[in-house]
Amino acid sequence: MMLYLTTFPYQDSSCIMGKREVQIHFLTLPVLFFSVMEERKSTEETPRNNALAQRRSKSYRQSMRSCVEATHLTYTSGLLTALRIPRSRKAPKSCDITKQVDPDQVALLVKKEWQLSYVTPLYQFRHTQLKSYSKQLSAFMVSEKQQGLAIEVGQELGFKVNFSVVLGLAETDKDAETVFIQILSKQVFSAKDAAPKVVWSGWLTCVNGDLDYLRSLPLEFVSLPLFCTRGPESLTVLVKTWFEKTFDCCFGPLGINSTNLQWLASLWTGCHPTINIQYLKLVWTLPTLPPMDVTYTVHPQDAWELWDSMRQVDTTEDSISIDEVTGFIKGLQSHFFRHFRIDLSAGSLMQISTALGSSHHSGKIKIASPNYIPTILQLLTECALLKMPI
Amino acid sequence: MAKASNLTRTDLDSSFESQLSVSSRTSNRSLRVAEKERRKNQIGDPFVLALKYFSEVEAGTACAGNDVLERNLVLVERVGLSRGLPPEAISVMLDYAMSLRMGVTCVRVLKFLIPATVVPQEAVVRAVSWLCVGKISSGLLCVLFPYTCLKLDHLRAIYGFIFSFVTEENLSPYICHLLYLLTRRESVRPFRVRKLLDLQTKMGRQPFLLHLLSLYKVFYPELVTLALPSRMRSGFKNHNSTWKVALCAVQKRNRGQVSSDISLPLGLKDKTNFRKRKFHHLELPSLSSSIQSNSSSSRSRKVFSLEQLHSFPQLLDNLHCIELPSQMGSLLGSSLALCYLDYVQDDSAFLRLNFWLGHALHEEFLYCSRDGSSGSSSEALHFLNRLLSTQHFLQEGFSSTEGFLYKFLNVWDGSLLRPQILGLLSDIPVVPSSCISQLLFEPLMQLFFTSTLFFKCSVIDCLNNMLLKWLTWHSVYALEDGLDISLNSHTPMNMTLSGFMDSVMELVRFVGRLATVGLQLEGCHSLLLSFILDFYETVCDMFLKYGLPLVVMPPAGVFYPALFATDPVSVDRLSYIMYRWGGVVTSTPLRSCQHQQAFHISRQTCQEFNHYLLFMVSCLWNSKMFLPGMAIEVDQELLALSKVPEPWTSFDLNHHPAFLGCALDFHLKCWPERKDIDFNSIKAAKPWNWYMEFLFSQGFQGLQQFVQSSINRRAVAGISGQRGSQPTSR
Repeated sequence: MMLYLTTFPYQDSSCIMGKREVQIHFLTLPVLFFSVMEERKSTEETPRNNALAQRRSKSYRQSMRSCVEATHLTYTSGLLTALRIPRSRKAPKSCDITKQVDPDQVALLVKKEWQLSYVTPLYQFRHTQLKSYSKQLSAFMVSEKQQGLAIEVGQELGFKVNFSVVLGLAETDKDAETVFIQILSKQVFSAKDAAPKVVWSGWLTCVNGDLDYLRSLPLEFVSLPLFCTRGPESLTVLVKTWFEKTFDCCFGPLGINSTNLQWLASLWTGCHPTINIQYLKLVWTLPTLPPMDVTYTVHPQDAWELWDSMRQVDTTEDSISIDEVTGFIKGLQSHFFRHFRIDLSAGSLMQISTALGSSHHSGKIKIASPNYIPTILQLLTECALLKMPI
Repeated sequence: MAKASNLTRTDLDSSFESQLSVSSRTSNRSLRVAEKERRKNQIGDPFVLALKYFSEVEAGTACAGNDVLERNLVLVERVGLSRGLPPEAISVMLDYAMSLRMGVTCVRVLKFLIPATVVPQEAVVRAVSWLCVGKISSGLLCVLFPYTCLKLDHLRAIYGFIFSFVTEENLSPYICHLLYLLTRRESVRPFRVRKLLDLQTKMGRQPFLLHLLSLYKVFYPELVTLALPSRMRSGFKNHNSTWKVALCAVQKRNRGQVSSDISLPLGLKDKTNFRKRKFHHLELPSLSSSIQSNSSSSRSRKVFSLEQLHSFPQLLDNLHCIELPSQMGSLLGSSLALCYLDYVQDDSAFLRLNFWLGHALHEEFLYCSRDGSSGSSSEALHFLNRLLSTQHFLQEGFSSTEGFLYKFLNVWDGSLLRPQILGLLSDIPVVPSSCISQLLFEPLMQLFFTSTLFFKCSVIDCLNNMLLKWLTWHSVYALEDGLDISLNSHTPMNMTLSGFMDSVMELVRFVGRLATVGLQLEGCHSLLLSFILDFYETVCDMFLKYGLPLVVMPPAGVFYPALFATDPVSVDRLSYIMYRWGGVVTSTPLRSCQHQQAFHISRQTCQEFNHYLLFMVSCLWNSKMFLPGMAIEVDQELLALSKVPEPWTSFDLNHHPAFLGCALDFHLKCWPERKDIDFNSIKAAKPWNWYMEFLFSQGFQGLQQFVQSSINRRAVAGISGQRGSQPTSR
């Protein structure tokens, strides 16, 4: 077993209050015993009872009756159809996504880091109107950039916006098809016939969204709860504003809490037999003064063996329970504790990464391998739906 | 000069006279008489003669050194600036000025054309038609402009004609304003948009162009788009200000006679306090029409967008064709729009509003994505107040607010924006009894028991309001159900009513528990007790006032502290509550024929009531307490240990600590000469009756009603030493 522990001031050595970073590489992992450590509840706030409810009808009879009948759209029955935090998931299966989805479009999605947001359902969004949306958005962007100058819609402008549908990502027929948006801009000093450059891209998606929730929405609404963006923040704000104005929806930041990061770590580790994950890197931040970042890199084979030992607890093959996930993470933590006497469960998991992808607590995700896109997107769709106000 | 001043004086006199006549007309003379008199005055009126001169003067008459002209002009100007011109005078003078019969004078004429009442339509149309002649200078048009604003309907027909003036450089601000006032949906055409945009590239960002274009955007957002800069002022600035001031002055003088169409329509709505804030979720979106619905189907249909809606009559006129805005959140700011929302009962509109509202509330208070949280509390306060007033306006709570509150109660510290949060809480609709405890009671209970007295009072008050709203809602909609049940017997009427009753029952019981423990914790604080009695006043009215067949007695933990309270108000209010309950219980046998299934007071409730009543009467009236068989039994030996003489009398009306002051007062008034005070002497028949009268006269209405309804007082004037009345036991 080899072990490196390096402690150095964070970046600027003159800064006394800077973060200390502890970087530890585990190259081999000894046999782990599942040690019982004090369980600490994660501190993130996740709404437990996320109810989809509609305005109650004004009639005594109706609302009371529907209360009895438990339809989806009454004000209280939403509590019955509350979205729940899943306790188990299907094990990721490697599938060749390029069979269903245009490989060019897949190439647009993978190997890039996306910033996540959630979106409430879009009112009167139509997949058939994408062309006119392109025109509207580009005109809107120019007019916002040049405050106080009216812009004719449909004119040739500095910006070009492309809306396109990514067919095939949807898993159920209730999932709306993914919409991909690109903003291209001609550089001011570029050659005349130079191709416009992509300055911003983003996509709205819904993969395996909660069926009860999607069914309960009226037809005028399209739920594409997950919004991934990449590009300058100013453009993101403009695009969001346009969506809010046009489809009466609301955007909010979507972070990935440590439970979901743990899920991702386990899901990716579970893929190791099919695709080499090369490493499993976890970053914790411990609430010390100054805060200490712990980067914990595990050899893929060791991670896989630990995960596999956890998996043996369960008999069913293709579903993973939350207990297995917490067991896996606890195993990693207790190993760390044995060597460094640092209890990682006191800190919060900030980031995980493998060769298959990486994700950060603040809501950044990168998917490197197209094979597991649906699994990851399903998890993120769940996160986004949990953020829905009703 | 002397001549001129002389004229002025006569003019002043005449104006004074006619003002007098106006006032006298309004005071006591009939209209017809007044009209006659006015006519008579007019015949010799120099003003009428002057008008006659202007209507008949020939073109080409020299104006320089023309004394007749000057005299008449001064005369009319005087009247115009002081009282305003009558419609026919406006007509004559406008025609005179626009026909340029006398060159330069026309600008001067236009400046004093102040309408006293209305501008006649034909005058404006004729004036505009003079434009066709083409010899009008642009400066003249600037002066003419305000008149055209007054009569818009007739100018709509020549929209295209007016539009063609827009390219003339110094005219275009006025033309744009005029067009802004004239523009309707059907006048927006792509070629006009293009023309304006061309003009914009030529002239730069002119506010008047932007205002007109932004109006075009209201009608056809898919044709043109623009973002108004935040610092841009609203409205058009090019009013002829001196004319406007004069008009205002005249209007002020003739107040009451001014017709409403003189007021100029408002300009663009101001983009109010555009704040730089990192998170905008508490900002109301601005009203704007949606691109969606415009684009295809409704193009042919007549559509009225909410942006144009300024008055209630307008709302009524366009009720059938109003279009909802692109962002429903914008409705929260406008009561007119809310009226419409309440009228349409559009489910998806409400859902959109709920999504927006829920998102704002969640982001602000639950997800707390606030890095710059400082200073946002006033914004949150403003937002919640607005939400509250909206909910009160619609008389119902939004479901997103409800969902938010259930979550927020679990993390609330009980002090952040307390009045607003409790206000919102009292607005929530009836919660089914199956989940009411988990959603509402548990978090509230925790907060209640760990907070200050003041918070406890506000919670009880909030629950009282909630109950009131539920009951009101029931009393309004139960009637509809009654109708429905006769039409269709399959409706689960009993089921729903019982569901509602279960919820109400749960709520009342919950408050009973809160009150019991709360009173113990706070040492039976009178303020808390007062709020609790407020609640029970609502509860005892449930049947008689709201028609809900439900009787719930307060728990012993509320009844006895109220009865033994040290302030008379609590005892008085308890008496009132008992009196009301007595009304329900006695009326039950009569009513139960109608509500046989629905209304059933349990034997236990009846017994409870009887216990309370018996105890109250024997305690306050008969000086009997702690006897076997009563609700409170205390061992005699234990009582003896307390060394209180005659403990059973210590809470009758003449010894009750709450009424001590009254008893003392009464004693002093009754026996002013006696030095030693003996309350027992009040107990004698005659003083007792006087004492009762005295108490009732002190304003203890509840006690009076209670005594009169529950205690049969026999006229026992002759029998001394006996109690004046007997309690009735039921």
